[in-house]
Amino acid sequence: MLKKILSAGALAATLALSAPSLAHHSFAMFDQTKVINLRGTISSYRWVNPHVSLFVEVQDGPVKHGVWAVELTSPGNLTRLGWSRQSLKVGDKVDIEVNPLRDGALGGGFRKATILSTGQVLQARLVEIEKPGG
Amino acid sequence: MLPLLSTLLSATLAAAPPPEPVNPAPTRTSLAAIADQPDLSGVWTPGPLDKYAPGNSTEPKWRAEIAPIYARLKQLDADGKPQNIWVNCLPEGLPSSWTQTLNSVEFLQTPGRITILGELDGNRLRRVWTDGRPHPADPDPTFSGHSIGHWEGQTLVIDTVGFLPQVFISTGQGVGIPNNGDMHVVERITLTGPDTARVDLVVDAPHVLAQPWHATRLLNRHRERKFDLVESSCRQGDFIESTDKDGLAIFAPLPKDEGGATLPPDQAGPLVASNPAAPKEKK
Repeated sequence: MLKKILSAGALAATLALSAPSLAHHSFAMFDQTKVINLRGTISSYRWVNPHVSLFVEVQDGPVKHGVWAVELTSPGNLTRLGWSRQSLKVGDKVDIEVNPLRDGALGGGFRKATILSTGQVLQARLVEIEKPGG
Repeated sequence: MLPLLSTLLSATLAAAPPPEPVNPAPTRTSLAAIADQPDLSGVWTPGPLDKYAPGNSTEPKWRAEIAPIYARLKQLDADGKPQNIWVNCLPEGLPSSWTQTLNSVEFLQTPGRITILGELDGNRLRRVWTDGRPHPADPDPTFSGHSIGHWEGQTLVIDTVGFLPQVFISTGQGVGIPNNGDMHVVERITLTGPDTARVDLVVDAPHVLAQPWHATRLLNRHRERKFDLVESSCRQGDFIESTDKDGLAIFAPLPKDEGGATLPPDQAGPLVASNPAAPKEKK
């Protein structure tokens, strides 16, 4: 897996130099009216600002098969929701609920994850979680 | 000789400029006075972001020539093609650092000054002078502007001018209009309960707004240590941990799609190559 991450970095180094920098972007690219489930295996979990991200390899189910890129909120916000950089591990089998990218590419905005081996549920929808006095 | 010297001395004194203003060292008295201020300590999280979704009745009233531009941005956002306005990681500035953020904020109260710190949002750091000074006559334009504040009961009133004209007045992360200069923002931050506060904003931007825009954001205070603010570099996510030829740990650029989403490695090549600026020989 480490090799895969490094090769992604190498690819980026050769190809992405002219790509736009889009660090702190809108979540409007995700279709909030659609929710799909991705059953697969975590192949990358990056605990970085401004947005934590993960890759999940999907080989079953009614969605497009392949590597899906899923984006979350910041490490600070996730820490406040009880997450840590150890919450998910490469190799974990998961169900991940996302709002898919509107353009049909393999990506989505995170809603919640269930780790299949333990049944643990991890949530991270700030708009739903943050309540007055909460 | 003596009268001449005296004359010269008095002439020099008369021409001397006023003394350079200084920030006085804190004293027991000035530090103790902080305890009499309303307590803004702790970490404050903003309420739900959907409060000012485009189309909400609290939308700004734009000047006639601006309204169609705003309507077009709203439509693009609704169509899932947001014209991302903070992708360069420059600070949001006011009013968006209140109205649009999902991130926590804290206040530091010290003699003569209140400091507002945030996570992300261009590494927000605002200095609000409460020592009675006026705004400079001609402040250097900045993202956060020049802020002076005072207390009215439980309310901290902050007056800010000196914004860069590029600072957005926004109702979404893809829907915003630059203030175009001469923006003036008044914030009233009121403790409404033991751990709740309200931020009322009045935004006056005469070159783009038909009338001042009133907006509000609610805040909730948290004392648990898991809420402590953490480091948050806006651009770290644009890079991936890698190793250079000498075996040293470095950050290398990470591919993203045109909307800013991280690209899985098996999908990065073709999309980047579709960028006309990308090297032609790559696929």
